[in-house]
Amino acid sequence: MSKNLNINVKHLTRVEGHGNIVVNATEGKVENVQWQVPEAPRFFEAMVRGKSYEDIQIIVSRICGICSISHSLVATKAVEKALGIEVSKQTDIVRRLLHYSEQMQSHVLHIGYLAAPDFFGVKSVVPLVSIAKDAVLTIVRAHRIANEWSELLGGRITHPVTIKPGGFTRFPSEQQLRELKQTLTDAVTDLGVIVDVVCSVADKIPAFERETEYVSLRESAMYSFYDGEIVSTDGHTCDVSKWESVANEYVSPQSTAKWAKWHRGSYAVGALARFNNNYGQLVDPAKALAEKIGLKQGCCNPYMNTVAQLVECVEIVVTSLNLIDELLSAGLSEEKVSVKPKAGIGSASVEAPRGILFHKYEFDKKGICTAANLCIPTNQNHANIQMDFEKIVPEIIDEGEDSVRQKLEMLVRSYDPCISCSAHMLNVQFVK
Amino acid sequence: MISDITRDVIVLGLGNPLMSDEGIGGFLVERFLSRQQDYPQVEFLDAGTAGMSILHLIANRKKVVFIDCAFMGAEPGSIKKFSPEDVKSVKKLAHQSLHEADLLKIIEISRKLGSSPEKIVIFGIEPSEIKLNMGLSKTLTARMDDYIAAISDELLDESK
Repeated sequence: MSKNLNINVKHLTRVEGHGNIVVNATEGKVENVQWQVPEAPRFFEAMVRGKSYEDIQIIVSRICGICSISHSLVATKAVEKALGIEVSKQTDIVRRLLHYSEQMQSHVLHIGYLAAPDFFGVKSVVPLVSIAKDAVLTIVRAHRIANEWSELLGGRITHPVTIKPGGFTRFPSEQQLRELKQTLTDAVTDLGVIVDVVCSVADKIPAFERETEYVSLRESAMYSFYDGEIVSTDGHTCDVSKWESVANEYVSPQSTAKWAKWHRGSYAVGALARFNNNYGQLVDPAKALAEKIGLKQGCCNPYMNTVAQLVECVEIVVTSLNLIDELLSAGLSEEKVSVKPKAGIGSASVEAPRGILFHKYEFDKKGICTAANLCIPTNQNHANIQMDFEKIVPEIIDEGEDSVRQKLEMLVRSYDPCISCSAHMLNVQFVK
Repeated sequence: MISDITRDVIVLGLGNPLMSDEGIGGFLVERFLSRQQDYPQVEFLDAGTAGMSILHLIANRKKVVFIDCAFMGAEPGSIKKFSPEDVKSVKKLAHQSLHEADLLKIIEISRKLGSSPEKIVIFGIEPSEIKLNMGLSKTLTARMDDYIAAISDELLDESK
């Protein structure tokens, strides 16, 4: 096999930026390995300046079509922190349920539509429909359930409209919650099918490891998606109010997106980070799945992030059923929310499906936003992807160019990146 | 849930309202929603950048009408009606993330799964500006009534 590599996977467009993969090697000597992100800067921080505290979560939900609930929730939490607003237990639980629905939507999409084609050896989900239609239909069904779940609690499938500082514009009825409980109970069967499919192709997951600092939220009471303190697998902790000292965002010459590092040259966020930091809080069925599929706490194989997402799907369904029971046994009540604007600064964090997400806002005494800072999970992963590239390329160089390219592309996909969803326009040529 | 499937026809406005003309689909749906009573059999939905969720929104309908910003090589502000068969996508997908979406690919998947509507109509509107901005360009703003008229004709004429 030739030990010369010349890989140049470019998807450079300024409007819908994606990452470029560049590798050059001669006679087995790696000369250049780069993960480049040429995405156009989007300056959402500037866009919310001058806007009322009441409108922030609606605007930032449009940052992303996949993580819109996470952006809405973290913005609302940051606003509440800045304005000194406390929310009820009922609001807290319904928000967690809404947040779970997005995790489920996103994880199912990633496993079924983005990662599965790699495992089945096809380029995208389109040919996958022909060779594994039943599996795709199961994914579609599970995705639809998660979408309906989001719509019930968020008012829409995506870009939710029911979240507001202090609470909700409306709560679901008890009957709707009972129906959701039944739907989720029924979904366990589909989840089992997805688990079986992933287990059947688990041997296609590349065996690669690199010791990594994994960063996520942690709560004492439960496996954390929605709240908690910042923790790392290196044993560090930090209050969310000081998140900027965790991300330490900096500019890399090979990327227009900012990069991040904490105690090492890079860190990783996402499902595997949550799993590694919070394994002890997983519900038993999720732990059992992890064991069945060979995912252990301390895993440093980034390709296993997809498996960690599957484990989280089990966690999400089981915990959601428990939360619905908690709401139903307490009984739902209407809440009147009264908010008085005041000057303040607030930071907050939630776990977006693809990793820890931070927002910070400053408001004047009328509740008008005067400054904002947002840090998305994928930017926190860029440096880690680069360092993974630098380790794996020399290890697999003998496999030849096609295999190296494929494994690097799979590696990027395993991080479930949110590189850009700022614009989704058609680009067509007429043929008739 | 998942929209009102008692209505056979769904109009999906696509795009991001924070990116100027890219959000034209949502802006037009907003206008139609204010006149919902004129279109009792039609559901209008601002689908934003929902991507693969479109699969569920269009499943088992008789007809779907998409309104989207489109690079068609036309004059900025132009509107064109076409079907998926009339065009080929020249959009490059990196397959790196769930955040990239090609409407034509989603329609293809829907057809392969056997849940696609019989009639699929796309209204493409050529952008004048795509940049971080919470409103449409002057070019598209000036033509909103034309767009409404063209799409309305499609919705009110039952032969279409």
